[in-house]
Amino acid sequence: MLVLSRKVNQSIMVGDNVRVVVVAVDRDQVKLGIEAPREIAVHRSEIYEEIQRSNRSAAAAGATPAEKSAAVAPAALQPRKKSPKPVKNR
Amino acid sequence: METTMESPATMTIQTSRFGEVTFADTDVFEFPWGLPGFADQHRFLALSLAEQPNFVWLQAVDDPKVALPAADPWSIFPDYEPRMPAYATEALDLRSAEDFTILCVVVVTKEAEEMTMNLMAPIVVNLKSRRARQVMLENSPYSVRTPLPRKQAEVQGTAQPA
Repeated sequence: MLVLSRKVNQSIMVGDNVRVVVVAVDRDQVKLGIEAPREIAVHRSEIYEEIQRSNRSAAAAGATPAEKSAAVAPAALQPRKKSPKPVKNR
Repeated sequence: METTMESPATMTIQTSRFGEVTFADTDVFEFPWGLPGFADQHRFLALSLAEQPNFVWLQAVDDPKVALPAADPWSIFPDYEPRMPAYATEALDLRSAEDFTILCVVVVTKEAEEMTMNLMAPIVVNLKSRRARQVMLENSPYSVRTPLPRKQAEVQGTAQPA
């Protein structure tokens, strides 16, 4: 891991377009500002890890007997705003 | 399986949960950013089972073992109002409500006694481009583990742990 020392109001660049600024330091808490392009997702790691765990438990659920012998077909997903009538999308 | 006049190329994969699944190229949803926990999976099918009309299974095309149950959040929580962060709007090119839908991942506990829905990180699907991304609604009032009302849980029947 790369470790850099920075003072308040100093920043680091990650790649060409992500800037991380140290906004404030108060005892063991650091406030960071992140300037990144709009399409970049910025999250606290704990939240991302929680979603990872949740997805893994979702995928770990055991199959029901019905699923094992089920007739499966690609679903026709409906846009949110339209009435939920089934439509054939192909 | 229905056939079409100008049938797109079809493929068949062997899945661990559902056995053989046949689908067309055009049935695949691209997840360019992967799915948290399954970052290497970039292509999913949304499968429906006749027995589980309220659920959709997101089956990874490239890993037969990976399938997550999901559902339309509004069918259970009509007041659900996710506010899309800018990165999601940008990444998925969300312009019109007509073009997208949302699925939320459902977790069945080991004892199959409880089902929860992840309202905090909906999977947003652009139906036109067929690109999708799980979007984290940080600072929203929604929980990763929102209990499903009992009535809904019964729809799926009793899942047994593997």
